[in-house]
Amino acid sequence: MSSRSVQLSSSPLLTSKTPVWRSKLIVATIAIAFAGLAVRAAYVQVIDNAFFKHQGEVRFARTLALPASRGRILDRNGLLLASSVPAPSIWANPEDLERDPAKLARLAQLLEMTPADLERKLANEDKTFVWLKRQLDEPVVKDILALDIKGVYSIKEYKRLYPEGEAAAHIVGFTNVEDVGQEGMELVFQKQLSGRQGSRRVIKDRLGRVVEDVGEAVQPVDGEDLQLSIDNKVQFFAYQKLRDAVLDNKAKAGSVVVLDAQSGEVLALANYPSYSPAKRINLSGEQLRNRALTDTFEPGSTMKPFVISLALEKGIVKPETRIDTSGGHLTIAGSTISDSHAHGTLTVNEVIQKSSNIGTVKIAMQMQPRDMWEIYTEVGFGQKPQVPFPGVVSGRLRPYKTWRPIEQATMSYGYGLSTSLFQLARAYTLFSHDGEVIPASLMKVNQPGAGVRVISAENAIAVRKMLNMVAGPGGTAPKAQTVGYSVGGKTGTAHKQEGKGYSGKKYRGFFVGLAPIERPRIIVAVMIDEPSNGRYFGGDVAAPVFSETVQQTLRLMGIQPDMSVKPQTSVQAVEESF
Amino acid sequence: MTRLSLLLLAAVVASAMVLVHSQYEMRRLFVEHEKTLKDAARLDMDLDRLTVERRAQATPLRVEQIARQQLQMRNPSPGITQYVAAPGARP
Repeated sequence: MSSRSVQLSSSPLLTSKTPVWRSKLIVATIAIAFAGLAVRAAYVQVIDNAFFKHQGEVRFARTLALPASRGRILDRNGLLLASSVPAPSIWANPEDLERDPAKLARLAQLLEMTPADLERKLANEDKTFVWLKRQLDEPVVKDILALDIKGVYSIKEYKRLYPEGEAAAHIVGFTNVEDVGQEGMELVFQKQLSGRQGSRRVIKDRLGRVVEDVGEAVQPVDGEDLQLSIDNKVQFFAYQKLRDAVLDNKAKAGSVVVLDAQSGEVLALANYPSYSPAKRINLSGEQLRNRALTDTFEPGSTMKPFVISLALEKGIVKPETRIDTSGGHLTIAGSTISDSHAHGTLTVNEVIQKSSNIGTVKIAMQMQPRDMWEIYTEVGFGQKPQVPFPGVVSGRLRPYKTWRPIEQATMSYGYGLSTSLFQLARAYTLFSHDGEVIPASLMKVNQPGAGVRVISAENAIAVRKMLNMVAGPGGTAPKAQTVGYSVGGKTGTAHKQEGKGYSGKKYRGFFVGLAPIERPRIIVAVMIDEPSNGRYFGGDVAAPVFSETVQQTLRLMGIQPDMSVKPQTSVQAVEESF
Repeated sequence: MTRLSLLLLAAVVASAMVLVHSQYEMRRLFVEHEKTLKDAARLDMDLDRLTVERRAQATPLRVEQIARQQLQMRNPSPGITQYVAAPGARP
């Protein structure tokens, strides 16, 4: 077969006539397709542009959280009671973990775990996230990351440190591992302390570096610092003395409250048993309870000064009025009230000094129940203290209309009503502040709250003199004396309630007092629960804690002794001989 | 006319280069700034941590132990204290 070449120009195909509509159709189709593309492009870019815009942003824009740091808790002098420090946590992804036995062994060592424990944590390979250990020290984390194990990562977290440890644990409280307050001030002021997290939008490059800010960042608001009225040295010494006393007396527990007598600020508030906020494993409720604020008890004889001050105010007695308490027994409506020793005839001063139940009852029975109820209420019994603290209790004071005569009698020496140690300490501002009760505060205050006048200054001073006699010769608490400072106070010893009646052998010993007596600067209240080492009177178990706490606190406050002290040093320089 | 166009073209190209460069500079400086901020935050935290550590070294418990055991100190009693009134202070 021979091939025949045909020139293009002479191709017969060209000579055939093409219908015009064909080319027009093709041009039109292509034009419509382009128009369609143009419309789609306009739609995607102008009208409905959200989708692709979003998709783009997902690939380069990130929102970063700007963490707010938790506020610190400070004492009245600005010393740290609680502060946050970075404590990174270590986590692992078992799915893509590099299982190099040597490295894992070293890791276990750094995490202070046994290799077997670590192995157990990493056993489940389906998991993608396992905490290995939370809140480690920074240097340890650096060492761990230096091992460069694939699948082990660190995450930034914060840990709360409490330099004062167990001495201030009850008042400061603690946070959990998520930095949320659980107890004490950390819980009450959680909102102010935690602040508010901020955020910022950024553009990241392919290496994950932030290269540009987008829009405006929301700045984080750091938590506010919280300044308490606590003085860390007073707090520590009070706790130490209390702890020693509880252990010496083989007691179940104890509390101490130190108030500034003029401003109502709480200088110290401690309880024993306490706990270390850093080691909170196996904590018991016994250790956690802030007894001074959350436990109520019958205050016993510490109530007598209020009855006496009311009697002075109403003109029923004068400090020198003589009361017959002979016999040591008094029967009211079939019940017998007794004194631990029979005293004979006592002046009102001596009724307080010797803590005579009969003397107090004889005075109290000349009053209207309503008047007694009013003074108890005015000094804060049965009222919830106005301090921000979880679980603050109000105690119990029954309405005076329900009082039977015997109840009025027992209430005059502190049975049949209940109070917390904190309330009791605050009530004594009546005597320290010349007849006015002032609000107590756990926060540092610059302007003391206005006091409420309950009795005249004259009568408050008269009662202070009686309280002073308690610590003097012939009083119930000579052990409350200090070197150099005049003190005054009232002992209390109360049978503990058990079920429906009173326990024969279980007691609480109290001492509430103030110092120096002329111009009181501090009020110290001490409670020792179930002392069981032979002695149980407030004057024996609680008064020594009072004495030591007063001695230390007044010295720390730089207050000059108001009593003459025999100097033990020679201030005269001996002339040097040549 | 052609000369003007060429001139304008050159100007456009030059300004584009400047733009690219300044964008690059901006990002470089931004990254540096970020790094500095991060360092500042880290130093802040170090300061916090060290402050707490220093406080932990100076708690009354530790001071008391060292004063008593190592330095053989004891509490001053009012008997061995000489009180001096500050000028203008209340008695």
